[in-house]
Amino acid sequence: MNKIIIGIGILCLLALVSFNFFEEEVDFNTDVRPILNAKCMSCHGGVRQEAGLSFLHREAALETLPSGDHAIVAGSAKKSKLIELVQSDDPEMIMPPLGDALTDKEIKVLKRWINQGAEWVDHWAYIPVDPEVSPPSISSAWSSNPIDKFVLKTLQDKGYQPSPIADKSALLRRVSFDLIGLPPDDELANQFLDDSSETAYEALVDSLLQSPHFGERWAAMWLDLARYADSKGYQKDNIRKTIWLYRDWVIDAFNSDMPFDQFTIKQLAGDLLQDPSDQDYLATAFHRNTMTNDEGGTDDEEYRVAAVLDRVNTTYEVWLATSMACVQCHSHPYDPIDHEEFYESYAVFNTTKDADDGRDSPKKFLLSDAQRRYKTQIKHELDYLKTVGDTLTDSYKHKVSTLSDVLPLSVPIMEEIDRTPDRASHIFERGNWLVKGDTVSAKLPGKLNKFTNLDIKNRLDFANWIASPENPLTNRVFVNRLWEQLFGTGLVETIEDLGTQGAKPSHPELLDWLALQFTTDMKWSMKSLLKEIVMSSTYRQSSHVSKELMREDANNKWLARGPRVRLSAEQIRDQAMVVGGLFNPKLYGPSVMPYQPEGVWNTIRHVAKWETSQEGDQYRRGLYTFWRRVSPYPSMIAFDTPSRELCVSRRVRTNTPIQALITLNDPVYVEAAQSLAQASIAAADDLNSQIQTAYKKALFKIPDDEIMNTLLTLYKSTTQKYREDGIQDQDELHRKGMENVTSVIFNLDEFIMKT
Amino acid sequence: MGLLDELKQAEGSYLTRRHFLKNGSLGLGLAALSGFSGCQSAANSFMTGESGDFSKVAPKAKRVIFLHMAGAPSQLELFDYKPLLQTLDNKPCPDSLLEGKRFAFIRGVPNMLGPQFAFNQYGESGTWVSDLLPHFQSAVDDVLMMKAVHTEEFNHAPAQLFMHTGSPRLGKPSFGSWVTYGLGSENENLPGFVVLVSGNSAPSGGKSLWGSGFLPSSYQGVEFRSKGEPVLYMSNPDGVSRDIRKDAIHAINQINEQAYQEVGDPEILSRMAQYEMAFKMQMTVPEATDVTEEPDYIHQMYGTKPNEVSFANNCLLARRLAERGVRFIQLYHRGWDSHGSNNFENLHGGFVERCQEIDRPMTALIQDLKMRGMLEETLVVWGGEFGRTPMQENREGITNPFKGRDHHGDAFTMWMTGGGVKRGMSYGETDEIGYGGIKDKIHIHDLQATILHQLGIDHEKLTYRFQGRDFRLTDVHGEVIHDILV
Repeated sequence: MNKIIIGIGILCLLALVSFNFFEEEVDFNTDVRPILNAKCMSCHGGVRQEAGLSFLHREAALETLPSGDHAIVAGSAKKSKLIELVQSDDPEMIMPPLGDALTDKEIKVLKRWINQGAEWVDHWAYIPVDPEVSPPSISSAWSSNPIDKFVLKTLQDKGYQPSPIADKSALLRRVSFDLIGLPPDDELANQFLDDSSETAYEALVDSLLQSPHFGERWAAMWLDLARYADSKGYQKDNIRKTIWLYRDWVIDAFNSDMPFDQFTIKQLAGDLLQDPSDQDYLATAFHRNTMTNDEGGTDDEEYRVAAVLDRVNTTYEVWLATSMACVQCHSHPYDPIDHEEFYESYAVFNTTKDADDGRDSPKKFLLSDAQRRYKTQIKHELDYLKTVGDTLTDSYKHKVSTLSDVLPLSVPIMEEIDRTPDRASHIFERGNWLVKGDTVSAKLPGKLNKFTNLDIKNRLDFANWIASPENPLTNRVFVNRLWEQLFGTGLVETIEDLGTQGAKPSHPELLDWLALQFTTDMKWSMKSLLKEIVMSSTYRQSSHVSKELMREDANNKWLARGPRVRLSAEQIRDQAMVVGGLFNPKLYGPSVMPYQPEGVWNTIRHVAKWETSQEGDQYRRGLYTFWRRVSPYPSMIAFDTPSRELCVSRRVRTNTPIQALITLNDPVYVEAAQSLAQASIAAADDLNSQIQTAYKKALFKIPDDEIMNTLLTLYKSTTQKYREDGIQDQDELHRKGMENVTSVIFNLDEFIMKT
Repeated sequence: MGLLDELKQAEGSYLTRRHFLKNGSLGLGLAALSGFSGCQSAANSFMTGESGDFSKVAPKAKRVIFLHMAGAPSQLELFDYKPLLQTLDNKPCPDSLLEGKRFAFIRGVPNMLGPQFAFNQYGESGTWVSDLLPHFQSAVDDVLMMKAVHTEEFNHAPAQLFMHTGSPRLGKPSFGSWVTYGLGSENENLPGFVVLVSGNSAPSGGKSLWGSGFLPSSYQGVEFRSKGEPVLYMSNPDGVSRDIRKDAIHAINQINEQAYQEVGDPEILSRMAQYEMAFKMQMTVPEATDVTEEPDYIHQMYGTKPNEVSFANNCLLARRLAERGVRFIQLYHRGWDSHGSNNFENLHGGFVERCQEIDRPMTALIQDLKMRGMLEETLVVWGGEFGRTPMQENREGITNPFKGRDHHGDAFTMWMTGGGVKRGMSYGETDEIGYGGIKDKIHIHDLQATILHQLGIDHEKLTYRFQGRDFRLTDVHGEVIHDILV
């Protein structure tokens, strides 16, 4: 009898064990932490610890409580008071006392987690990438590279099929905008469209990666992060006349594929490198893009402090996607950095000479690399002219004068204060700079330094820590940024926040694998990383979407189709100029002032004048448009550029009638449409081919019959109306008809979008 | 309602409306899904927003007209009458008033400066008003005076940002952006947040004062200019008639519709709606902003002269926009910074001119709204970004050449009317020289909370997540001042 009971007991035990054994392991970060954060932490966290209980760390949560109870007994949900209370029927007892009770599913998760040992795991993004991470073994004809294996695995798990490869015309436009921010030039386009071999696409990608416009396109992204502008901000918003040299440094760095770790170190601490070059100093202008306040009567120290705080916040957002808005004032249990640690990072940056003075000092006289190359080139040309004895021509004289125009300029840079007397850094109580707490010194935040375990003394150490391959965030953050630029949404949607309050990664292994490749095989090369992504089948999919898929995955989280995203403000304007044949491809140099309606800058006191640029400078890329913080260029701001007052990771994409009015009526679009109409008339004999020419110039394909009919009808009704208005001249009527057609092409959804 | 839901709804409405597109006229309906008209749904349920349920009370006001006097007018020359200050005129300021205070320009020991103009009491309420506002004296029984408003900032740009974004730093959404984000526009053919600027230039805080900060840019204020094109790029290019444009938009949307059939991206529907909206705005905006069609008596009442940049024109424009359902109408009138450092900044110079510029139109605005039965549902707010010191300014220790006062945030006067606030009442008191509030003080965040409350918004619940934190207009402060509400 006893034996039987024991036998049954063993069976039960076996059943229990095997049940647990086969039960999927609960993931603390994905499954448990969100429940604790949402339902428990506001009373049992770091600040408030009701009943002496905190769920912040494992040790605290497992402690014997003052009441003698144990909230959690590792391995036994049954004995854990937590489980008893969250499923209590007694309204006096049930936890949480306010708000929604836990769902059955949540309770099950907690039970399983406790039974499995109640392990606390660090937030995923604070743990270094597993060096063993590798793509799942899937064999599929669809897959071009490892990225596709990760994506396909998820698609199969969810029961979706990938989409076929996009049309050549769509793919051509997509990859061109993604890599150089412009439509391809005719030569490149025809080469690709005419080449039916398997290597055509890769050849296209390689050409684009070598284009000098590559650096411009990626600088446009980086300058939002660097909060780059040509003015200082605040009331007077005076002009920062030479800061564009920093912009040119960024373009150069991207064009030369400077390894991202170097790119990082130079911008954060180029001045502290051994024997820093002029270019190293120039890179540090990154953090001189902070605003300064020249308004009479303002306290310079207040705005110096504000600038230093901004440097801390910006650095953490740009490289570590870690949000600092909260800890400046107080700690949260779920933040990776506490209040004191924030000011230890502040101490890293609170050592520079700049002091919110009107002159923007300290500055350094220097030439950018672009200027230097330009000088060398002209010198070569002059030498050549000298050897052929051609020194009396206008061309020679002009070159001599150009050479003397390229002078070193004085650029704001970072420089350490002299150490005596040392400037102390304090904690600011509740973020108020006038209420100073304890003194702190430079130190890395514990949670983020857990695996690197470094001591730091200054900004350079800090920069080296950020740029080290062991830093768990830097590579993930940057990979995610690039992914967002190409696909419209990051693998972690909140690209500005990879912390516990941010979104969860849609493809965690893919993100980690790419991050690992980036720092190892690719040696921090951004071009290699971009190539890997755009060569994937995932990227090359058609963006067409069925109703079912739209309903189930509206945001294309699972990547069962290609990206379909509106072009950026700069890209929309640049595209119109390129297609219209107005575009001036010149690189580098001072910011330019394209046409802007009268009165826009009247908003500003102490007006610096907007003087429309001449000699083709009004048709330069949007990137070079003069950026005044209190009054950014109207058509840019309408297409969602930030004002560049603060670091912004993600541009919100809106869709407004003001945008429609711009692409219909802003003179640059009108001119571009007129110019395209004329070019098309010149290029072909009959109306149909002229319309086809214009359409193909814009979208790299021939319009189908339905579109052709719509455009022909428009042409007819337009010329008819102009005729009724009294225009007799056939050529003029024809031109006006075509202009309305090209204006329509410039306003098609397909033209405004990357498809 | 999330964007996706909106788009789904739009798709539904699109399917029922496609005959408009088919038969060649421009359809309606799609415009309502735009962010432009706010986060509320096309169905216009008044109180549902993207940020969840933020309503606590029934709204008393449907819209706000905010008359901001940029540069900060002196309350001691307009509303806060201090006879004792007259007796202290030209006497050195006692140390006790200076201890621990930070000023923008005053250094050392300045002299006190008495009220520069005569005051009298008006209306049944016996409200004090100086001789500088002869028209406004007749409107005082309709007005709630708030005499002990205070702010934390004493420089123009930060203080203006504080008033209009709840934070002295750049980068936060403005008042009007928050309100249109929450409530949308009442008119789907006009923007929900319109800004009108007058004075010799715009306010110090620049366009950030009506920027959308981290909210989507569709919520930023749209500046209507009273001279030239009211909205940038509103007019068709030369030679393009409305008819020709109509054909173009028809063709655009026809091809876009075809693209939607093939591609399936609902964003295309949204774009089609925006093109229709743009086309309609080209009609509605010139109509709404054309003050020439107003009768003569209205022009006399406001003192307007068409096609000039003036506060009077903007007041009349504000009424016209309010009639058409614009949610938040923000006026800026600059030039109030009366330091005494030159004649423009002189209490007896530029300041008097500013008073003449605003007196008649702001009074007319109140009367006009009342006459049309609109005052009940329109909250009008008047005030600067801070007040002025009871001391004569002595810049860097030397008394200024003209009569003038330094910036002062501890106590200043603002007024409101309409939209469910008490009228003919004076709330709050300052000490005998108007230096600080001694009773019923109102902090800027309290004022913001109260205005939102009148619009039916709980200021603690209208939030937006940015950089990992829920932000709101009132930061983590602000109390609704119930004593001033009907």
